[in-house]
Amino acid sequence: MKKFLALLLAAVMVFALAACGQQAAPAPAAEAPAAEAPAEQPAEAPADEGVTLDVIICQYGPNTNEWFLGSGMNGTNFVDKFESENPGIKLNLEVISWNDVHQVVDTRIANNNAPDILNIDTFSEFVPDGLLMPVKDYCPEDLYNDFFPAFIAESVIDDTVWAVPDLASARALFYNVDLLKDAGVEVPTTWAELEDACQAILDYYNGEIYPWGIDMTTDEGQACFAYYAWGNGGGFVDADGNWALNSPENVEAVNFAVGLVNKGFTNPNPATETRYDLQDMFAAGKLAMLLTTNQLPTYVSDKGGSINMATAGIPANEGKTGSSVGVMDRVMAFKDDSAPDQAARNEAIGKFLKFFYDPENYVGWVSMEGFLPAVNSAVEALVASDPSFGAWLDVLGSCQFYPAAKAEWATVRQGVTTVEQNALIGGDVQAGLDALQAEVAG
Amino acid sequence: MNSIQGKRKWEPYVWLLPSILLISIFVVFPILIVFKLSFSEITPGGVIGGFIGFRNFTDAVKLPAFKTVMMNTFWWVISVVGLSTLLGFIIAMVLNQQFRGRKIARSILVFPWATSLVIQASVWNYIIKYEYGNLNNVLLNLGIVGQAINWRTSYTVEFIWECGVGIFVTVPFVTFCVLSGLQSIDGSLYEAATVDGAGFWSKLWKITLPLVRPSLTVSTVLNIIYVFNSFPIVYTMTKGAPAHKTDTMITYLYMLSFYERKKGPATALSVIGFLILCLCAGIYMVTVMRKEEES
Repeated sequence: MKKFLALLLAAVMVFALAACGQQAAPAPAAEAPAAEAPAEQPAEAPADEGVTLDVIICQYGPNTNEWFLGSGMNGTNFVDKFESENPGIKLNLEVISWNDVHQVVDTRIANNNAPDILNIDTFSEFVPDGLLMPVKDYCPEDLYNDFFPAFIAESVIDDTVWAVPDLASARALFYNVDLLKDAGVEVPTTWAELEDACQAILDYYNGEIYPWGIDMTTDEGQACFAYYAWGNGGGFVDADGNWALNSPENVEAVNFAVGLVNKGFTNPNPATETRYDLQDMFAAGKLAMLLTTNQLPTYVSDKGGSINMATAGIPANEGKTGSSVGVMDRVMAFKDDSAPDQAARNEAIGKFLKFFYDPENYVGWVSMEGFLPAVNSAVEALVASDPSFGAWLDVLGSCQFYPAAKAEWATVRQGVTTVEQNALIGGDVQAGLDALQAEVAG
Repeated sequence: MNSIQGKRKWEPYVWLLPSILLISIFVVFPILIVFKLSFSEITPGGVIGGFIGFRNFTDAVKLPAFKTVMMNTFWWVISVVGLSTLLGFIIAMVLNQQFRGRKIARSILVFPWATSLVIQASVWNYIIKYEYGNLNNVLLNLGIVGQAINWRTSYTVEFIWECGVGIFVTVPFVTFCVLSGLQSIDGSLYEAATVDGAGFWSKLWKITLPLVRPSLTVSTVLNIIYVFNSFPIVYTMTKGAPAHKTDTMITYLYMLSFYERKKGPATALSVIGFLILCLCAGIYMVTVMRKEEES
């Protein structure tokens, strides 16, 4: 009996230890980023000896998981189709929600188990640690040349491209045509016109309709900052690319945005009402004007709404030029010095990208969630499927993007949001932006 | 005989060994890792560097939101644990009485506890929404109010709502702990007290409270730990907005680590929280146990 007990305890201990064991993980290289490799194809190494790629994809919507892992790709899925067309390459692909992805990636990096391919929004935090591979080490040249050059330029640090765009969205002013028409209001193009329009809508509907939607939540405060700062000749950085957060234009812009709230022109709780809350209000005909993404028509129709809506440029201050706001996510590849055959691994990553951006696959992926493409080869097919894409692609061409290539971007993104939220409860915008500028620019 | 006694002496430890091993691996080891991380440099990308002394701690304490977050955490724990203990005790007293539908009432009470905190917080978010909230709809339809009320007029109100949801989901646990204690009290004690002329309050103070104290101790210590470490309610309802005014330590260190990528100060805050928790739970347990020994 005692021998049996001893054996049982030993078995429990072994299982307990085995449960905690980790797979041998590749250590990220700690050296400085390598200089950009020459634009050449990876060496022709046989990939069919077996390469397994760990891939993390962010969940953009309810269809993402189905498309990559379910049956949302014409009855099959991305992984099965890729593996059948690329024998010798296995995909260990996970779709992770935006809420969790940073936590998952950070934990894996801390455990020396970074994914081979990662789809996420930011990349600059990985570059100083030498975790990423330069894009030209693995991206086939024809595919590289297919990306919109303006998009590629947003992922450059020290003259090296570290990530490629996977998709984009553009922000513009959406307005409810009927609400504005009934109130006798013209679409505003300047801040002064915007205030007049808001007052007219407020008066006409006796406060039943919110004239203007504003989102200063923790996830979108940076977009709010961009709408107003860029519309006032300010922005995150100056002409030389240095942080210029506390410029007079930015202070005026944030004060103007908060002023709209204080005058009662907006939704009541901008710090907690998300973009989706605002889009719901817009879809229900309770909100007259809203700055949001090109996906709004898809969102409204998915909700069963039938709003007579139109788009216009983002209003700017008098004498200033407004700018559309572009948001882009990326795909990047991590180094793995423990991979037995680096050339085969790079080639496998290249094949993954070629397959993903193949118009046959990529067009379905982009249009599925209502995003905008990042490669020229998808444009024709997308415009053919939905002519409204053409207008949005024009908007995208003139967009400004967040300075996500700067190492301090994460701090700035949350910092400007905190300044806005502080201003909502009476905080000093100038003091907040001064402190943020001092923190990131020294 | 001695040899058998010697073996018997070691037997409990053998039986405890698997549990000790599992706790060491899944609890003690991660805690030690967090301690080590709090003294290490961590890059925004998540790569762990060398020893940097107390710099993460000084950086954490210097953060502009540190004081606000500490005060919020204090009020969060005090209000949620205190009020849920009080309410849970009262409800347990009621549920301990014989009445029609008692079993149904006990079953219903489990629901808030059995449901995921994220779902609870999301549901409450919808209930108190200004535009389409159920609360406003009910009040408007019943004609109690003429127009919708903004239930989230300031961050103080938002924080009170978060505490309210915290209390709502914590009360069932306290209730069942206290109820189990109440059911173990011998009814003859109350009968004897009644014969001696004791009233409700006298029986409450002299019989009920002393005898349910062990159950209350367990529920309070566990609640201090659970509530302090609670993440989903605050994160789902406000994400700490505006400007960390509704953040507690746990949600703040998460934002710090994964939104602002200041991982060093975040691990330092995590260690500070752990030490505070050990201190609070320790003081409470020692005080209560001393009182029990005295009585």
